[in-house]
Amino acid sequence: MMLLADAVSHYGNWLPPQLSTHGDKIDQLIFVLHVFMAALFFGWGVYFVYCLVKFRARSGHSATYEPVKGGASKMVEIAVIVFELIVLFALSMPVWADYKNKPPTEAENPLTVHVHSKQFEWQFHYCGPDGVFGRTDPKFISTSNFIGLDEDDPHAKDDLQFVNDCHLPTGRPIRMEIFARDVIHSLSIPTMRVKQDAIPGMRIPIWFTINKDATTAKVSEQMVQTFSLGRISWYRIRHHVAAQDYKNKAGDIILAKDKDGALGSNAAAGKEILQKLRDAGFTEISLRPSNPLEIVCAQLCGNNHYTMKAQLKTHTADEFEAWQAEEIKKKNTELEIEF
Amino acid sequence: MSGAHATDSHAGHDHGHGHSHDHGHGHELPFWRKYIFSVDHKVIGVQYTITSLLFLLFGFALMWVMRFQLAYPGQPIPIIGKMLGASLVDSSGILIGNGYNAFGAMHGTIMVFLGIVPLAVGGFGNYVLPLQIGAPDMAFPRLNMASYWVYLPGGLIMLASFFTRDGAAQSGWTSYPPLSVVNIGGQTWWLIGMVFLITSSLLGSVNFIVTTVQLRVKGLSFFRLPFFVWAQLVTSFLLLLAFPPLEAAAVMQLMDRVAGTSFFMPGGLIVTDVVQNQYSGGGSPVLWQHLFWFLAHPEVYVLILPGLGIIAEVIANNTRKPLWGYKALVHSAIFLGFMSFIVWAHHMFMTGMGTTLSTFFQFTTMVISVPSVIILTCFIISLWGASIRYTVPMLFALSFLPMFAIGGLTGLPLGLTASDIHLHDTYYVIGHFHYVVAPGTIFAMFAGIYYWFPKVTGRKMSDLLGKIHWFFSFIFINGVFMPMFFQGMAGILRRQYDQSYQLHGASAQGLSMMASWSAWCLGLAQIPFIINFFYSAFAGKKVGKNPWEATTLEWSAPSPPPHGNFDAVPVVQCGPYEYSVPGRKSDYLPQNIAMEA
Repeated sequence: MMLLADAVSHYGNWLPPQLSTHGDKIDQLIFVLHVFMAALFFGWGVYFVYCLVKFRARSGHSATYEPVKGGASKMVEIAVIVFELIVLFALSMPVWADYKNKPPTEAENPLTVHVHSKQFEWQFHYCGPDGVFGRTDPKFISTSNFIGLDEDDPHAKDDLQFVNDCHLPTGRPIRMEIFARDVIHSLSIPTMRVKQDAIPGMRIPIWFTINKDATTAKVSEQMVQTFSLGRISWYRIRHHVAAQDYKNKAGDIILAKDKDGALGSNAAAGKEILQKLRDAGFTEISLRPSNPLEIVCAQLCGNNHYTMKAQLKTHTADEFEAWQAEEIKKKNTELEIEF
Repeated sequence: MSGAHATDSHAGHDHGHGHSHDHGHGHELPFWRKYIFSVDHKVIGVQYTITSLLFLLFGFALMWVMRFQLAYPGQPIPIIGKMLGASLVDSSGILIGNGYNAFGAMHGTIMVFLGIVPLAVGGFGNYVLPLQIGAPDMAFPRLNMASYWVYLPGGLIMLASFFTRDGAAQSGWTSYPPLSVVNIGGQTWWLIGMVFLITSSLLGSVNFIVTTVQLRVKGLSFFRLPFFVWAQLVTSFLLLLAFPPLEAAAVMQLMDRVAGTSFFMPGGLIVTDVVQNQYSGGGSPVLWQHLFWFLAHPEVYVLILPGLGIIAEVIANNTRKPLWGYKALVHSAIFLGFMSFIVWAHHMFMTGMGTTLSTFFQFTTMVISVPSVIILTCFIISLWGASIRYTVPMLFALSFLPMFAIGGLTGLPLGLTASDIHLHDTYYVIGHFHYVVAPGTIFAMFAGIYYWFPKVTGRKMSDLLGKIHWFFSFIFINGVFMPMFFQGMAGILRRQYDQSYQLHGASAQGLSMMASWSAWCLGLAQIPFIINFFYSAFAGKKVGKNPWEATTLEWSAPSPPPHGNFDAVPVVQCGPYEYSVPGRKSDYLPQNIAMEA
């Protein structure tokens, strides 16, 4: 259980780290907008303060009846409108259309997960390798079968269900179908820039892909860039841990598995690690986000709304298949034991 | 009675006007007719003002308690903790989740519907509008009285819900079903209260529109109206056209709660493991959202427009020159009002909206930012070439401008769907709208109170107390809301009883401490105002008709105006802001010919 203090150092002070393939464009839009907003505010602000001082009432000074000629202000107004149109048509609408209008095709082999939201937990239903979701019915709901899976349905044999525990592969499109059992909830994964309301009576699909970079980084200068909008950089890497031990030719550990901060406490330390990895001949390393990724509820759903939180764990595509097979085996063993 | 009198055109009026009007009674009205069930717009305006200020204070107090829980989660509330009921706190006086949500829902509802709108429209609009157009009263004085006496019970019904077993409504001021239908708490009272409040606004809005169109004195054409009147006129159209869908929706939700209907209830609901077989289903929760936001978006322009009207008056008066871009201001206000009806679904981008609809609403949302920018720009350019008097109303009016700018600008990332994905339902939204209503509208309300207090009472408020009030309010109000943008960026969600639960926002949670302490200090900063308000009403320095040397018509009535308002019916000779006209000895030319020096 991560302490608040640790979480602060892992999550940073502005936008949370971003691990999806579409999220960088959202961050870029937020950044561009705020630069524009700051420019407009300070522009107005300078003019405003200047007027407050220059045109204060004092003896010998009186106001001018004639209006100021409007040339400059018209230009500013037009510039604002043009900027907004550019942002709208170039930076926002395409991103939203991309996010909403391009569901993953069959060829891309998406992983489909059913997400059931209820007061105050998230339930995840995986269909398993057969690609078909087993039948569910409220009459089967019990403490161990919270989604109400009909275990007699042959398609349910490889179905998995978890509460507040979500596992997803990186580099593979994910399609989530979101259900709400009682009131409106909202599936929010801040670190993936994903948010979608869960509305009772509806089955709402969303899709996103977790960036392979969340689990793999090329050993290159990019790893130690100090700032970059969304690309691999030390700024992002430092929120990760190595997924395995990386040793140099002599057998000494360069990067210890799952060790917090092993990638360097600052960019300079990071450069040292980078050099050692290069010398040892690595071109790629496997990583895991060190901070716990959370799926939270963004729509008021009752008195324990704030507790509605699931843990999200990322795996490489292969790891995910292995994990899934393991879980199916465990489930069927348990079911056999029950009889 | 007074209705017939008020609709007579002034042009043919030949009663003597050198006495106060008795409207045909020939005797003084009894106390309860003069001050309680009065049809005089000024008495009603004062009633609205006092009532709404009390509601605002109460709504603010709810937030002091909530902010304690946010700054010190899980700690017993000091002093009053153990006194609050079981629907709000546990046995040690710690606020519970239901209590937090009840306070949250009621804070929003009280501030918007019981506080700001009644103050801005019922208080300022009622008192000032007839005076500014030279009328002796509203077109329908009895309707006016009715609108106040429907507002008050509506507000009291809502407050009464705190004393029920399960406490007040606790599903947000937005009351989204199915939560609002299945939740415990006083949601039913909330819905009934809303029906009263909406009815009150509808009665009032009809009155304002007819009064403005019909009762302007001779010479007062539409484009000679003070911008305050234009703002109130557009506001009234918004109230008239936008509120009815919400009133209908409130009745529908009420039926879902008490009569087993399924307007907003889909089938197959399972709440706390109990299948909800009592609903036939087929209803849509999203329908409520559309009906609610169809009002609630124009509602936010109802919240800001009267404030913009007040700011216009105060700026013109204290710059001693005409407002820059009067025509642009009027056209922008009208365009803003029209546009406000076609942006509402930007509150619903995350409901599963497809690209066609969200593109439309994104686009209209960008378009609506244009008139707001124009209005703000006109006010700022009005300062050029001015002779700025730093009176207390002017301090509030000037500080309004950058605060409204911050509020308006931070609406941009929210109004674009892509950036809204990250920022929706976070503290960024709370920061955005509070900047527009708190250091925005509420500062405009303070400007209006300090400005028109002499007209209402015949006495000035203390400048020293006013400046202290302004200075500390300005500092602390920024201390409350500026951190919220950072919290929103970090992903801290709204309506969270305990923010520390979610680790991704951990870095910004310390800011909650700053916001809470600022909120408590902001509360203390209102003490000089409260003292000033009541003390000055009885013992403030006496003033004549026009202490601010202003041009608009209300300043040609006595302070305070008698029943019927004017000694002699005003005749208008010019526009509303003829200050520093060249070639004149005095630096202002009153609209009323009779007041000309």
